[in-house]
Amino acid sequence: MSDGPLTLTINGKPQQFERVPDAERLLDTLRWRAGLKGTKEGCRTGGCGACTVLVNGEPTLSCLVLSHEVSGENVTTIEGVAAEKVGRIVIRAFAEAGAVQCGYCTPGFVVALAGQLQGDGTPPSVASLLDGLEGNLCRCTGYRAIQKAVVAAREALK
Amino acid sequence: MLIVSFQLVQPSTPEEAIRLLSRSAAGDIAVLGGGTDLLSDIEQARITPKQVLSLRNLPWRYFRWEGNSLVVGSTLPLRALELDPHVQRRLPGLWEAIRDVGSPALRSRATLGGNLGRCSPASDLIPILLALDARARIVGPSGVREHPIDIVLQESRRTSLGPAELIESVILPSSAPSAYLWQRVQPVNDISQVGVAAAFVPEGPHWRIALGGLQPRARRLSEAEAMLRSARPTHLEMELAAQEAARRAEFVSDKRATESYRRRLVTVLVRRAIQTTLDRMPKAAHPRKAAS
Ligand SMILES: Cc1cc2nc3c(=O)[nH]c(=O)nc-3n(C[C@H](O)[C@H](O)[C@H](O)COP(=O)(O)OP(=O)(O)OC[C@H]3O[C@@H](n4cnc5c(N)ncnc54)[C@H](O)[C@@H]3O)c2cc1C
Ligand code: FES
Ligand code: FES
Repeated sequence: MSDGPLTLTINGKPQQFERVPDAERLLDTLRWRAGLKGTKEGCRTGGCGACTVLVNGEPTLSCLVLSHEVSGENVTTIEGVAAEKVGRIVIRAFAEAGAVQCGYCTPGFVVALAGQLQGDGTPPSVASLLDGLEGNLCRCTGYRAIQKAVVAAREALK
Repeated sequence: MLIVSFQLVQPSTPEEAIRLLSRSAAGDIAVLGGGTDLLSDIEQARITPKQVLSLRNLPWRYFRWEGNSLVVGSTLPLRALELDPHVQRRLPGLWEAIRDVGSPALRSRATLGGNLGRCSPASDLIPILLALDARARIVGPSGVREHPIDIVLQESRRTSLGPAELIESVILPSSAPSAYLWQRVQPVNDISQVGVAAAFVPEGPHWRIALGGLQPRARRLSEAEAMLRSARPTHLEMELAAQEAARRAEFVSDKRATESYRRRLVTVLVRRAIQTTLDRMPKAAHPRKAAS
């Protein structure tokens, strides 16, 4: 019914998309227009965290955001996180702790954790980091290995 | 992937928002705060608006202290309140309730205005807002009005707002010792079976008890409050208040809990909420401590 051009800064690069419907979700723009398939669709209703991206540095559920609402803002996906130091450390910690099984939830966890570990100074406490992952669900690991990865990533960054 | 369509409008002043709302037929336009409830309602075709009016660009993403009162702009993400140490210290019950709403990433979008606008019977914020005597400042075509939220809220997805009215802010008149407790099957991203808020406010009658998980929505239970006759209720008074709350509340049986289980939960949680509130009273003003 209504669509227009959309500009987003995705992983540091401004990108313009033509004719994006007003009802389109950020999740779909990222996956289908920007071709960034690392961001996963789990529930599409805000309940699983698989679609987590950073909007201006804040962990955000991309399935519950209209793309035009964040027009002009900075969006960081797992692809952007993986290209930076903090992201690489988090990913390595997940791999080494055995925190990845099917891997579907992993991008959401990594983005939500890396988002909290960005910036200088001592990283937040383990308890507070785990708190920040409350909304991320994993069907495979039973979470213990993920907790180990969180501790290891934090240690590596101290 | 896209089964719905609508036009998004993003006014930057309240006047413009109200004008746009006034011009549309009811049902043709929907108001978007954080969108965590509304977008699901649209996707499930519960509503089929032609236009969606986003409040994001309005100057309502703020909170400020005015003496003892906390004023919260209706479009401020809940996460901003959660991260403020003063909110945690001065309004512990509100802080606790906010942290129960979804997950941190959800709270970086979800707003107080949206929680009131949705008016869910299971809302985790409405009980504590009722216990803290919260008021809503409402703007619309005929100006500004301010009412206790008890008057604004009606039932699930229904408020007493006119079609072109918006909640501008929510006012919490005093920093009161308070607590919010709940029970769920899963701690996160589940709906509370019951929620219990208690507060000890400066204006008498001092004790406030409000319950969530009721039909048609959360409410205060003055019958239970009346059992608490001093700043330092006895164990018997607390027990009677809890029983009175369980007896008076209109619970339902649904897939989350039976009516009798909810009653049982409430007798325990009301007692604990009062005790937690007592434990949070400032030391000097704590009658039990002062006496010893
Ligand atoms: C996974 C998940 C978990 C959740 N968990 C909880 C929970 O534990 N506890 C809980 O209480 N809620 C929960 N919710 C519900 C929801 O997140 C909250 O009710 C939230 O506060 C709604 O705010 P919003 O800004 O996203 O509202 P929106 O979706 O934007 O709006 C909701 C309604 O309010 C109206 N509205 C919005 N802003 C205003 C305004 N300023 N003036 C007038 N009307 C307005 C809208 O038109 C709409 O009808 C959950 C939701 C999801 C998706
Ligand atoms: S897909 Fe967004 S939270 Fe599940
Ligand atoms: S590894 Fe499979 S869902 Fe988490």
